[in-house]
Amino acid sequence: MPLLDLLSFPFIQRTIIAGLILGLLLACLGVYVTLKKMAFFGDGIAHASLAGIAIAILAGVTPMPVALVWSLLVAIFIFYLEKKVKLSTDSLIGILFTASMALGVVLMRFTPGYQPDLVSYLFGSILSIQTFDLWLTAGISAAILLWLFISFRSLTFLSLSEESAAVAGIKVSLHTLLLYISLALATVLAVKMLGIVLVSALLIIPPAIGRILAHNFKQYFTFSIIVAEITILVGLFLSLQFDLPSGASIVLTGTALFCLATIFKRRTA
Amino acid sequence: MSPRSKTTNENSSAIFAENVSILYGEHRVVEDVSFAIEQGEIAAILGPNGSGKTTLMKAILGLIPYRGEITILGQHFHDVRNRVGYVPQRFTFDRDFPITVEEFLRLAKREQCSNSRVTTVIKEVGLTPLVLSKRLGNLSGGQLQRVLIAQAILNDPAVLFLDEPATGIDVVGETAVHDVIEHLNKEHGTTILMVSHDINMISTLVDKVLCLNKKLLCAGSPKKALTQKSLSELFGVHHSLYEHHQHHE
Repeated sequence: MPLLDLLSFPFIQRTIIAGLILGLLLACLGVYVTLKKMAFFGDGIAHASLAGIAIAILAGVTPMPVALVWSLLVAIFIFYLEKKVKLSTDSLIGILFTASMALGVVLMRFTPGYQPDLVSYLFGSILSIQTFDLWLTAGISAAILLWLFISFRSLTFLSLSEESAAVAGIKVSLHTLLLYISLALATVLAVKMLGIVLVSALLIIPPAIGRILAHNFKQYFTFSIIVAEITILVGLFLSLQFDLPSGASIVLTGTALFCLATIFKRRTA
Repeated sequence: MSPRSKTTNENSSAIFAENVSILYGEHRVVEDVSFAIEQGEIAAILGPNGSGKTTLMKAILGLIPYRGEITILGQHFHDVRNRVGYVPQRFTFDRDFPITVEEFLRLAKREQCSNSRVTTVIKEVGLTPLVLSKRLGNLSGGQLQRVLIAQAILNDPAVLFLDEPATGIDVVGETAVHDVIEHLNKEHGTTILMVSHDINMISTLVDKVLCLNKKLLCAGSPKKALTQKSLSELFGVHHSLYEHHQHHE
């Protein structure tokens, strides 16, 4: 089917709009993920959300809100444990995400029959974005982007030096907690499109390409956002055109762009 | 800390500490330390590794809890933070991270980083405005340290805290940092407290030295405080560096 005809379908329109919103959100958050070296966080939260999805399916309610609340709690718990337990953040995330995922697997044992919702959450599906999901994505993304815009200086400063930021009067703990919460919410919002297994790629690949190409911080943000949007649009197009899973198409597009950026940088260096 | 009437020293001193103890769990890192740094002085906390120097500075800056009384310009740190600057010991960031010197300086509060202010502080630390467009990760150790000092003086602080300002940089960079410290003190009257284990630098640059090894072992002008006996007590071995330096004086 020609692309223009495909674009007339409401579910395709919803998916593209949601994808563009999520591209912007994940690229902006991804800059801080790379700056604070917390790439594992997104992956962990995405996997941990499986328990929330399983609880929702078992209870017969819409999975997304339950998964969002579950991930929010996991993010807050990671933040709390960081302060209380003498273990690296990566270890804490590793423990919590595997525990949460194991809980999800156990709960699914009590859900009889094939679960199309569950499969779409695991690997992503462009058919799964409903109007409610789009509004939820738009609302939460707007709130997070507004916070990022207001806290841009503080967040960047504390990501470079927490001590200097604290002395300058920046509320380091509060901003860190809000970053964790924002990351958890953004990751779960993107799970429907990319799937639990692949979602963290969109937090990592566009900022990684932005970093290769940028000379300054402004360019870093700009390139990351542009690359994220191109990755999502091209990935979705390939998914529609060749009937491929959306998450895998988007991630493979991003990886191809990463290879091109690396070659371009080597040639111009 | 219990509220009590402020003594004259506490009110007039740039930094005042009385009976300060710092504990990490059961382990006492700093024990019953009292001292006063007067306004306009350059002072240094000297001691071997693990003696509590950085910990004491962090306590003064309100970064870690402590017992006892600490005031800056007669007030608690949180009430005077706008008049304080700080350069941490470790500024470990990914050197490939794309951020320019100007962007880094502009992370400060909006009112502190006008174009003219950013250019002024860069000149104050002995760098040219050309450095503003350079990536932070491309600077030499000495240049980076001076940019960090520039960032710390954007708010024109009355008191500046420097934790090991010349560690890990070459001799040229070290001299440049020392020049900046002298300039800020002489031209702007900035009180400076730094952590250091460089006895030669301390003996030439600072007005007051605090010898710390968990307890305050000596305090006063370097000439009076840094005796062979106090250095041996502080470092636990015969210390020839200071002797060598004294011969050259």
